[in-house]
Amino acid sequence: MEAIEGLLYGLSLALTLKNLAFVFAGVFLGTLVGVLPGIGPAAAISLLLPATFHADPISSMIMLCGLYYGTMYGGSTTSILANIPGEAASIVTCFDGYQMARQGRAGPALGIAAFGSFFAGTIAVVGLMFLAPTLASFALKFGSPEYFSLMVMAMTLVTYLSQGSVLKGLMMAALGLTLSAVGLDPVTSTLRFTYETLVLRDGVGIVPVVMGLFGVSEVLLNVGKTMNREILQSTIKGLFPNRQDWRDSSLPIVRGSMLGFVLGIIPGLGTIIPTFLSYGLEKRLSRHPEKFGTGAIEGVAAPESCNNAAATANFVPMLSLGIPANPIMAILLGALTVYGLQPGPLLITEHSDLFWGVIASMYLANIMLLVLNLPLIPLWVQILKIPYTILYPLILLFTLIGSYSLNNNLGDVIVMCLFGGVGFLMKKFRFEPAPLVLALVLGPMLEDNLRQALLISGGSFATFFTRPLSAAFLIVSLVTLLLPLLKLRPAVQLLQHED
Amino acid sequence: MIKADRWIGLLLALFSLYVCIESVRLGLGTFQRPGPGFLPFSAGATLGVLSLALISLAHFGRTEKREAWQNPGHVLMVFLALLGFTLLVEWLGFILSAFLLVCFLLKIVEGRGWGFSVGVAMVVAGASYVIFDVWLRAQLPAGFLAS
Repeated sequence: MEAIEGLLYGLSLALTLKNLAFVFAGVFLGTLVGVLPGIGPAAAISLLLPATFHADPISSMIMLCGLYYGTMYGGSTTSILANIPGEAASIVTCFDGYQMARQGRAGPALGIAAFGSFFAGTIAVVGLMFLAPTLASFALKFGSPEYFSLMVMAMTLVTYLSQGSVLKGLMMAALGLTLSAVGLDPVTSTLRFTYETLVLRDGVGIVPVVMGLFGVSEVLLNVGKTMNREILQSTIKGLFPNRQDWRDSSLPIVRGSMLGFVLGIIPGLGTIIPTFLSYGLEKRLSRHPEKFGTGAIEGVAAPESCNNAAATANFVPMLSLGIPANPIMAILLGALTVYGLQPGPLLITEHSDLFWGVIASMYLANIMLLVLNLPLIPLWVQILKIPYTILYPLILLFTLIGSYSLNNNLGDVIVMCLFGGVGFLMKKFRFEPAPLVLALVLGPMLEDNLRQALLISGGSFATFFTRPLSAAFLIVSLVTLLLPLLKLRPAVQLLQHED
Repeated sequence: MIKADRWIGLLLALFSLYVCIESVRLGLGTFQRPGPGFLPFSAGATLGVLSLALISLAHFGRTEKREAWQNPGHVLMVFLALLGFTLLVEWLGFILSAFLLVCFLLKIVEGRGWGFSVGVAMVVAGASYVIFDVWLRAQLPAGFLAS
C-alpha cells in the first residue's frame, strides 16, 4: 500500500511538463548513444552530468536514469542492423539479430527487442519499487562492521565477475583504493598525496576518471580500426512480430526479465553477464538449439529483455544501500553527491521525492521508449551512416567540454586525459577498469567505516567476524577469492567460449 | 598472462612501495585509532604483494602473445591532440582550440581534405560554443580574444 502511495506521489512529480521533457531528453539521448558505437552509457552520463547542474536533483536524476535505459533499447538497433553492438550489453543480440536481418527479418527482430525491453523494464521497475525500500530499511540496522564487510564483498564480487584475470582485477581494486585515499583525510584533515595541487585536494574525481577510462580510451581503441558498418536494410518494414514469433518469444521474454532482474541486483554482474546467461539458458531450454546463431527470434527476445531488467535492477543496491553495481551506477552515485544528497539507506526516507520521482519516471520512460523507438528507426539508420572518423572528434570534444564544466577547472581535464591513456593501456594489457572505478567510489566509505569500527571495538578486528551479518559478507568474499584457485570461473566466461 | 605483465608488475610494485613509504610518513596510527596513512598503506601493500605475484606468474607461468596494436601512430597523435587542447585552451580560448582540435583530427589524423576539415571544424566549434557556453552556461575559457 505504501508503495502504491509512493508511486502516485512520484507520478505527480514526474508528470509535470518540465520532468516529462527531462525524461524525453534522457531516453532520446540514451537511444542515440546506444545506437552510436564508440560511446557507451558511462561516458554519455558523465558527459551530460555537468549540463544537469542548473536543474534540480529530481529532474537531473530522471534524465540521467532515462539515458541509461535508453542505451539498452538503442544498443539493439546496431546489433541487428549492422552486427555492431551499440553498447556491450547488446553483444549477444548480434548472434541472432543480425542473422534475422540478413534473412530480411530485421523488422520483427527490432520489434521483439523493443516489446521485450518494454515488458522487462516495466516488470523490473515494479520489483525495484518494492525491493529497494525493504532493503533500505533492513540496511538501517547495519553498523560500521556490516557496512565495511558489505563493501569488501561488493568489491570482491566485481573483481571475480569481471572478465579476464582475477589477479589483475584484484590489483585494479587495490589501485582504486590507493587512489581513493588522495585528498583531505576526513578524520585528521591531513592532506594525502596532493602535492600542493588544488585539483587533488578533494580527491581524484570519479567523473573525469570514468570519462577517461570509458570514454576517451574507447575512442583511442577505435581510432585507426576499420569499422565495417554495412547496414543491411535502410528501410525497415513489418516491425510487428507475427503470431509464431510471439509464440516463440513470450516465455524467453518472461525468463529473460526474471533472470535479468535477479542477477542485476548483484554487484559486479552489471548488464553484460546476465545477457550471456539468458542466451545460454534459452539455448539449453530450446527444442531446436541448433537454430541459435542462425536467426532464432528467442535469441533476440531473451537477452534484450534481460539487459533491460538488469539495467533497472542495478538501481536496487545503489538506491537502497549506496553500493554501485557497476561503473554507471558509480557515476550516478557520484551525481547524487554532487547534488548534495547522501547516498545510503536513508536516501529513500529522507529524499522520498527523488526516489519515487525516479521510479515513476522509469514507467514513463519505458512507455516513451516503446512509442518513440520503433518509428524513429529510420532516423537511427541515417545516424549509423555517419562515418566514425567524423564522430570521434565530436565525442572527444564533448568529453573535454564535459570534464571542464565539472568545476571549470583544467585539472579535471588533465585527469580525464591521463586516465584515457591509462584506460587504453589497461585494455591493451587486459586489465579491467570496473574494479578500479568501484574501489575508487567505495574507498572513502570503506575507510570511514573501517576506522569507526576499529575505534568502537578498541582496535579489535574480531568485530568483523563476531557480528553474524558482517561475518556472512566476509565469508562470501573469501569464497569468491578462493574460487579462482579451484579453477572455477564465472559461468558467463564458459558460455562466451561456447558461443 | 602476457610477457609485458612482468614489466607492468614491476612498475606497479615500485608504485606500491612509494605509496607505502609515503603512508608511513603520513602516520599509520594504531589499530584503536588508525591514522591517515592506514588505508593507503594497506591498499599499497596489497597492491605490492599482488604485483609480485603477477611478476612471478608472468615469469614462470605460460605466457600468451599479446594482440598487435593497430595504428599506434594515430592513437598517439589523438592523445597528444587532447593534451595540446588542454594546454592551449585557457590561452587560445575554447572556440579557437576546439576549431584547431577538430581540424587537426580530421585533416592530419584522418587525412580528409582541407575544405571539409576546416568547414566541419568551424561548424562544430561554433555550435558547441553556442550549446555549451551560451545555452547551458558552461563558462568555457574565452582566452586572449576576450581581452
